[in-house]
Amino acid sequence: MNHPSENIIAVRNLKIGYDEKVILQNVNFQVRRGEVFMILGGSGSGKSTLLKNLIGLYTPYEGEVWIAGGNMVAAKDDERLLLFRKFGVMYQGGALFGSMTVLENVLLPLDEFTDLPGPVKELVALAKLKQVGLGAAAQKMPSELSGGMQKRAAIARAMALDPCILFLDEPSAGLDPVTSAGLDHLIKELAHQCGITFVIVTHELASIYSIADRIIMLDCQTRTVIAEGKPAALRESADDPWVRRFFNREPDPIELAQPR
Amino acid sequence: MFTPATQNELETDVQVSPEGHARVVLRNQLDAQTAATCWSDLERKLSVANIKTLEVDASGLCQCDGAGLALLQYLNMGKMTPSAKISVVGLKDEMEKLFREFTPEDYEAFRPRGSTRKKSLPEEIGHAVAQAGADLREQVVFFGDILASLPRTLPNRQRMRWPEVRHIFESAGANAVPIVSLISLLVGLIIAFESAQPLAQFGAQIFVANMIGLVMVRELGPLLAAILLAGRSGSAFAAEIGTMKVNEELNALETLGLDPIPFLVVQRITAGILLTPLLTCYATFMGVLGGVLVMLGLGFPLKLIFHQLTSAVHLHDVVLAAAKGVVFGAIVSGVGCLRGLQTKQGPSAVGISTTRAVVTSILLIVIADAVFSVVFFMLTR
Repeated sequence: MNHPSENIIAVRNLKIGYDEKVILQNVNFQVRRGEVFMILGGSGSGKSTLLKNLIGLYTPYEGEVWIAGGNMVAAKDDERLLLFRKFGVMYQGGALFGSMTVLENVLLPLDEFTDLPGPVKELVALAKLKQVGLGAAAQKMPSELSGGMQKRAAIARAMALDPCILFLDEPSAGLDPVTSAGLDHLIKELAHQCGITFVIVTHELASIYSIADRIIMLDCQTRTVIAEGKPAALRESADDPWVRRFFNREPDPIELAQPR
Repeated sequence: MFTPATQNELETDVQVSPEGHARVVLRNQLDAQTAATCWSDLERKLSVANIKTLEVDASGLCQCDGAGLALLQYLNMGKMTPSAKISVVGLKDEMEKLFREFTPEDYEAFRPRGSTRKKSLPEEIGHAVAQAGADLREQVVFFGDILASLPRTLPNRQRMRWPEVRHIFESAGANAVPIVSLISLLVGLIIAFESAQPLAQFGAQIFVANMIGLVMVRELGPLLAAILLAGRSGSAFAAEIGTMKVNEELNALETLGLDPIPFLVVQRITAGILLTPLLTCYATFMGVLGGVLVMLGLGFPLKLIFHQLTSAVHLHDVVLAAAKGVVFGAIVSGVGCLRGLQTKQGPSAVGISTTRAVVTSILLIVIADAVFSVVFFMLTR
């Protein structure tokens, strides 16, 4: 095995970008099994691009992405399909299929990738929906759900095949504090109860403090990871002033000094 | 090197006593893969006798995912043994907690119910007629709104936004020239070629020129141009405005105090009305050219063909074609914009609007063409 057993994700010397433009380079980090790991950074720092490289939607220029024992970058098509089964993804807007009910959305991966009989698949999907608190909304169309409910339904769909990792892109974006806190509670519970590893891209300070085990911070100036560790420790003693300002929600003094 | 995880095969032991007491012992790994394979085995063995009690011993399971728990739940709900008293025992604590979280009552409460009552045929017909009536009313109101906004918009250079009209004129008109050329030329060619043979039996091949002239100028030229415009640009108008509606851009316009009709619709209709007669003339010319090529191929001199054409086609035919172009252009662009504005929410809404724009445009074009034919017949008899 080329990676330490406690690390379920290992990223090595990653250089990523698009249209021949480098967005991030020298990215190195590990995610431990069962932890809630967050990717932070300012707008335009490449958080979502990094996530898309981790899940194999984009191909990095250089480096390796090891997920549950397989190298996502070097894997051939059939190996990639096996790797895709090991993680689920929740996209920022939920990305539920609008022509299907919520239940049908969750059933889709089960229909495609398992030989389970119909009633058992239905039981699996309904149990996942109950787990995210949406059992009663199983027959609704995605357009009938609120933003928070759509994100919960997307998590249920991502969990349908019981992956060991869930990638969430901005789960709290656009949600009210109560719904956002509810989603945080759900993530914590799933991590604790089902042992799922979470990799979350977010800006939400409240979520970071309440559920993140470890974080990395990306910087658009240096185009790399500028901080890694526990959020509380970084807030107090990060070397980089930008990281401290981020955690303390303080404005940039240089920007403030500029005439309006 | 990629190495797939090693798998512990599921071991299933089913014992059924003659008194109707059944015991299912499951060991190792119960997941989506193994649950699917043991399902048919369990169903076959448990459906043979009238089972009174069923005990599922899951103490040997080292791993059980959502699919495995669902299979246990299915057994626990008595779906395989309806009259038996069932117990699932020996699950590890964390699995037990997940297993107990989803109850048979939850399943009954959340599962899909049968489909809603189907409408009867008279109900369906009534509904369709009412919808068609409402749709017609909306179309009339929409054209009224456009007419009302024209005097306010057309004379005002800033409000009319002529650069936008020029842009639409280019994308809907100039960019359509290659496809209009090809289709009109081929249609003219085909009609001339197909009619030349039967007319040859009567020695009347020369009248192919008269026919192609009349058919292309009075009917097919305007129809081809309008139908191509409906497919290319009417649908594009519906999709553009529909996407704006889905993205709440139309709401933004309204709250800025801007009416979508003078801001978006009038420009498209003006461009449609201006460009369709030109496109009609061009389609007619290309269609006639196709016919002329066939005639030349059949050995008729160009001068004779030209003479036949000019004797068959009169100025009022050309005026009729241009008038049709104006009306068809207004129909195509107007319907495209209306369907765009009627777009509802949801991912398929824009697609539905686009389809409705093309279908309604073609339907109205054919109806308008029939009205033109009757009016022209009455005026020229």
